[in-house]
Amino acid sequence: MIHLKKDETKLMVAVHGWSGIVLGLLLYAVIFTGMAAVFAEEIGIWSAGHVETRSAFERPMDGSIRRLAAQTPAKYHEGVDLFEIGDHNLGAFFHRHETDPDGTLVSRGIYYQLDRKGDVAKALHGTGEEVFGPRNDDALSSFLVDTHVRLHVPNPWGLLLTGIVGLVMLVAAISGLLIHRHLFKDIFTLRRSASPVLVDRDRHSVAGTWSLPFAFILAFTGSFFSFFGTIGVPIVAMAAFGGDVQALNDAVFGNPGRPDPRPATMGNMDRIAADAIRRTGEVPTFITIENFGRADAKVTSFHPPKAGDIEPVTLLYDGAQAKFLHTKPSIGTQPSAGGTLAAIMAPMHFGNFAGMLSKAVWFALGFAMCYVTFTGLRLWLARRREDMRSLEWLDRTVMVVGFGLPFALVCSAAAFLIAMPLGSATYWTPAAFLIASGVAILGGTTAPSVAALGRALQFATGLVLAGLVPLRWISGGPGWGRAIEAGQPIIAALDLAFLLAGIWMVWRAAALPARRLPFPARPVPAE
Amino acid sequence: MSQSWRKWTRILLAGPGAVLVALVVMAGMPLWLPGGAAGVDNLVLPLVLVPLVLVPLIWAALFFHACLDRRLSRVAAIAATLFLFHAGLVAHKLLVQRSAFEEHRS
Repeated sequence: MIHLKKDETKLMVAVHGWSGIVLGLLLYAVIFTGMAAVFAEEIGIWSAGHVETRSAFERPMDGSIRRLAAQTPAKYHEGVDLFEIGDHNLGAFFHRHETDPDGTLVSRGIYYQLDRKGDVAKALHGTGEEVFGPRNDDALSSFLVDTHVRLHVPNPWGLLLTGIVGLVMLVAAISGLLIHRHLFKDIFTLRRSASPVLVDRDRHSVAGTWSLPFAFILAFTGSFFSFFGTIGVPIVAMAAFGGDVQALNDAVFGNPGRPDPRPATMGNMDRIAADAIRRTGEVPTFITIENFGRADAKVTSFHPPKAGDIEPVTLLYDGAQAKFLHTKPSIGTQPSAGGTLAAIMAPMHFGNFAGMLSKAVWFALGFAMCYVTFTGLRLWLARRREDMRSLEWLDRTVMVVGFGLPFALVCSAAAFLIAMPLGSATYWTPAAFLIASGVAILGGTTAPSVAALGRALQFATGLVLAGLVPLRWISGGPGWGRAIEAGQPIIAALDLAFLLAGIWMVWRAAALPARRLPFPARPVPAE
Repeated sequence: MSQSWRKWTRILLAGPGAVLVALVVMAGMPLWLPGGAAGVDNLVLPLVLVPLVLVPLIWAALFFHACLDRRLSRVAAIAATLFLFHAGLVAHKLLVQRSAFEEHRS
């Protein structure tokens, strides 16, 4: 394997440890919420009790879109984005592209939220940044995703922060690889009868090494999403297009063609959607219309990858005639290496390319990464425990974040279930997270020991997690029979998963004193 | 060179130096990468591969090189070469754009 000199290995051990210590807690928060966000769609269905299984694109929508277009100023017909909201209802954003006084390219227009019957439930005016936000019925899944994507720090700083966290993960992964002298031996070594510290180190090594390829994928794809718009686009636009971001967007994402501004009646959108579903075998995730009501109108439908493939499918239609033109690469006008690479970034990051199976694998590997980050922090502290008693505060902080974050997340889920029927979930979901975080921090300052703190947080998390199931029923969510009958077995599956995980956590926390303290008693010898 | 001076030079090269070089390489890459079939590979590859693969990898390579290479002069020379080549390409492109703009205006 890789053989570094003794002083170089020592340096790499320091780099590995410090890279984790400096941003390790943020990294843990990003990975943990990312792990949960793998099932964001399913959590959204479960938490809001959605029982509709037919997509908005499979139901008639043409009449609604025409009605909306008639009541929307023509200046916002430049672009129309169509997507699903809530329980398979339709969302439509009529907009045009503008450059703000500070030079930022924005989409400004009207965002219509339709109800099940296709009537306007809500209309919001403003830029995309202003109108898109959590709604009462998706406050929980939005909160999860927003925590993962930018840690609730305003753009672009939140994205930059999570991008930097991705780079830290990369450094920790590479340095972790370099300090293994016997990689293949180490990944199969679990000394169960050794001292608690060595047992923990073995588990850290095994989980870290097995999930190393996954760590690379996550670090690369995650930093792509973080840096794409914040750094990549402005820098490349500056160098290649004299700073014209719109010109770069047109070159990369646009549909080139001669402009034809003559008014024309739009083709039937139901026909386009049905044809797109027939060709791909998948319901669109998103549909965009360029130049609505003009002779040069173009409709692009975006679909998940076909079975056995990893690249999403994009189809292009003539909007005025509702006629299929061709299958379009996600990037550029012809298939290219860059376009394919760009297209597979999302499936690689979200793990949604093979349905529930790939999602389950991504979830499990995410859990392994959380374990590696948490145990890595604990091992770093264990090595310094006898020399540096002053690190007690850091030890408590690691415990507060490590077990306090899951506790705060399940509390926010409980608050969502109570507040959603009352219409105040967008307020109470983050509020409950903050209150629960405050409780965890207070516990961190007052608990008699780190072990007691960890045990209490695990016990409370398990209790709330198991309690989510009866809470959902009491708050009016569909029962298992109704959910399965409606074709949403995921509701019953998540109920069962939360119940079992909650009971296991309570049992584990209760049994903890009889086993061993989660904090190792003696420092680990250097390798 | 004193031990402390070497240490701080190494930290500067591994930290801000590596970030700066990686960003300048991202800006300069579209100007020499081939366009590909769709004519966007030179744009997309930096966007996809640089922030995704190349920027982290260039940054990580420069970072670990600065940490592990005993010859500090070699670390500095490689970083400087990458920086000067790509910064030169970007500067040339901007100058050409500026002169074209002034010609168009006159």
